[in-house]
Amino acid sequence: MTVEPALAMTGIRKAFPGVRALDAVDFECLPGEVHAICGENGAGKSTLMKILGGSYRPDAGEIRLAGRAVHFTHPRQAAEAGIAIIHQELSLLPHRTVAENIFMGREIAKRGMLDKAAMRDRAAGLLARVGADVDPQTLVSSLSIAVQQLVEIAKALLLDARILVMDEPTAALDERDSRTLLNLVRILRGEGVSIVYISHRMPEVTAIADRITVLKDGRRIWTRRTGEAPVGEIVRAMVGRDLKDFYPAPPSSAPGPVLLAVEEGANAYMRDIAFEVRTGEIVGVAGLEDSGKAALAQALVGDAPLTSGTVFLRGQPLALRTPRQATAAGIGYLPGDRKGEGLALRQSVRDNALLALRAIAGLFTRPEHGRLAPDAIDEKLRAMDVRAADFGQEIGTLSGGNQQKAIIARWLAQESDVLVFVEPTRGIDIAAKAAIYETMRRFADLGRGIVVVSSDMPELIGIADRIVVMHRGRMAGTVPRGAQEEDVMHLALGTSGAPEKEESP
Amino acid sequence: MTTDITRITPRAPRLPVSVLLAGLSLGFYIIIALSTGETAQLSPSGILGLFQRMVALGLVAIGQTFVILVGSIDLSVAALISAVAVLASHVMQGDPTMMLPAIVLCLGLCLMVGLINGALVAYGGINPLIATLGTGLVIQGVLAASFGMLQGAVAREFQVLAYGGLLGVPYSLVLLAALSLAAAFVLDRTLFGARIYAVGGNPDGARLAGIRTEQVILSAHVVASLFAGASGLYLAARLQSGTPWIGRDGIYDLESIAVTVIGGTILAGGKGGVAGTLAGVLLFASLDAGFNMLGIDAFLKQVLRGAIVIAAVAVHAVRTKGHVA
Repeated sequence: MTVEPALAMTGIRKAFPGVRALDAVDFECLPGEVHAICGENGAGKSTLMKILGGSYRPDAGEIRLAGRAVHFTHPRQAAEAGIAIIHQELSLLPHRTVAENIFMGREIAKRGMLDKAAMRDRAAGLLARVGADVDPQTLVSSLSIAVQQLVEIAKALLLDARILVMDEPTAALDERDSRTLLNLVRILRGEGVSIVYISHRMPEVTAIADRITVLKDGRRIWTRRTGEAPVGEIVRAMVGRDLKDFYPAPPSSAPGPVLLAVEEGANAYMRDIAFEVRTGEIVGVAGLEDSGKAALAQALVGDAPLTSGTVFLRGQPLALRTPRQATAAGIGYLPGDRKGEGLALRQSVRDNALLALRAIAGLFTRPEHGRLAPDAIDEKLRAMDVRAADFGQEIGTLSGGNQQKAIIARWLAQESDVLVFVEPTRGIDIAAKAAIYETMRRFADLGRGIVVVSSDMPELIGIADRIVVMHRGRMAGTVPRGAQEEDVMHLALGTSGAPEKEESP
Repeated sequence: MTTDITRITPRAPRLPVSVLLAGLSLGFYIIIALSTGETAQLSPSGILGLFQRMVALGLVAIGQTFVILVGSIDLSVAALISAVAVLASHVMQGDPTMMLPAIVLCLGLCLMVGLINGALVAYGGINPLIATLGTGLVIQGVLAASFGMLQGAVAREFQVLAYGGLLGVPYSLVLLAALSLAAAFVLDRTLFGARIYAVGGNPDGARLAGIRTEQVILSAHVVASLFAGASGLYLAARLQSGTPWIGRDGIYDLESIAVTVIGGTILAGGKGGVAGTLAGVLLFASLDAGFNMLGIDAFLKQVLRGAIVIAAVAVHAVRTKGHVA
């Protein structure tokens, strides 16, 4: 049986100054197929998709849609040919309604006049198709990220896209919302849409994809049916080596005395928070998107402080009302939104690593002396194995993994006792992930404490000594190292014990 | 399929900014009029007088709203207003047959300035603050240097625009109302309007959706310049002859930005509209009229206005924050 592929890219080459981004890559996707692309950051996935979407032009190679050769010079042409790309960064207008967003750039109009009623009706139909129960008149800014993602897909469906590219669609979603999204992908596949699925989350890829293609350094390593590609094989192909010990070994000694403790903590997002972090311990925090897990991290670093309850550091009550107090007390924060909250992208690697020290230093501290000296901070950066041609270069030019390591170096320089990580490896490729886990473990073994808030369940299970699970602003329970993903999910969903009934509105 | 991820937080209905602001402004005006015993200010002609104070600033501000919505800004409007007023009076020289040529010429000048501003910002990639500050300086300089040769006065018939009326309603107010409605219609109901919001809200997203963002930005600048031109023509009619400083003395550049922002249009672009801007203009007009009734010193007036601008924007910040959290 031969089916004409809905999309066939053959011999695609693309070079940027100094880099061969793609080297004779072949890729095809059949109608009604989910074809996953796996690869580390920089493997060429995004470049390939940008060529497909008309943002870049290939140096060589051919793109055929249902057998017909096409040449795109503008993203609009790709869109009109039935290719929709849902980007990692959402492209919605927060202050406009859902309907206005779905029709952005493709408004229904007669002689320049908008037909709003028609757009509302079509939008309502599309939203129903993606399973989003939203009024088309709702402002996008009032929707959760998950629903915004659905609106993006509805936007793609408007064009009757035959080829849908999803670039890390679940990166910002928690487990429950990811499942909903994957269901939608299955429905679209059933309707004959070809789906190109890019993700770092292996369980998702093996669950959803019909075929998997692995890219590495701009070359295609192989394409296989999902059944013939165990996760181990995929990972080996992606990194070019075995990742048997992907997660660091658990610590040999039991954790030490209590370092940080919260008693009866509460604010607008959570209640009855009581937990502790011991020296040498990595405590994971799991939960759904709105469970309060992010609020817990923000409270620990003084960004959205507790309104009642007490925080103790080494047994002493601690005033924790601003990030400055947290920094001074030795609590370091590694935000999930690295670019937005973690880094000054236009400043050098060195400046970024010095941020906390300089923030706390007195106004008349001599710059470039003592701990602020370039040599001193370079040493910390090297200790963290931050790879940069020169620590004076803009940090925005480094990979996500190296940026994250530079932030760790910042808190290492500040001699923080407790580090609060939020989504520590979001958007970071697999090899760099392993290095970051290693660093976290090493940090803990030095007698410090770590809190990791993450939506990536295998990550939490692999790295944490203990996982606190949040549900609706409360702590639903704690599971020890070695727990199963199921146990955590049940607590997070509130389905442990007697199955809970859906609350009537 | 059932989804439990699509919960929507219901929001309490809120009065639109424009209604709130207009109500506050009128309330302030009425209270001052009553407390100072200037009840004549509350007669129909007094209220019309209040509205007529809105015309010059209102026209510029509508144009400014377009550029701010698209994520740009226009600092050259004050100089352009002066240029138009001077040019109109010079071309007319009191001759009513020259009215039409003068208007056409003035709007032609505005079109040109708008195209230059737009090209610099959209195609040249120059920061709009700098680009329009530059064009404004150039216009102002040319005007100051050549004013000696540009003397003149508008035709008496042209002054009807400022002083005449239909059934007691000044023509200038009719003009402001008509242009406001037209602008609101364009923003709310047309393709061009939708593109302005798209480009201002997310330039990259708009470009990827196939919108020619440069054209939209350029067009918005042309609109702003044309509205500045309308304002200049009105001022020429009111003052009989233009001088190179009427725009600058009226601080039309900064005040048009201030009222736009007070009206709820965000400087980043993509949110706001004409109704809010007009309410902001009404606030300024009411403050002016109120301060006059109270006999407040001109400099103190300026201080109070400044404070009110800050307070208004602070109120927006608080409102938006409450909405987000």
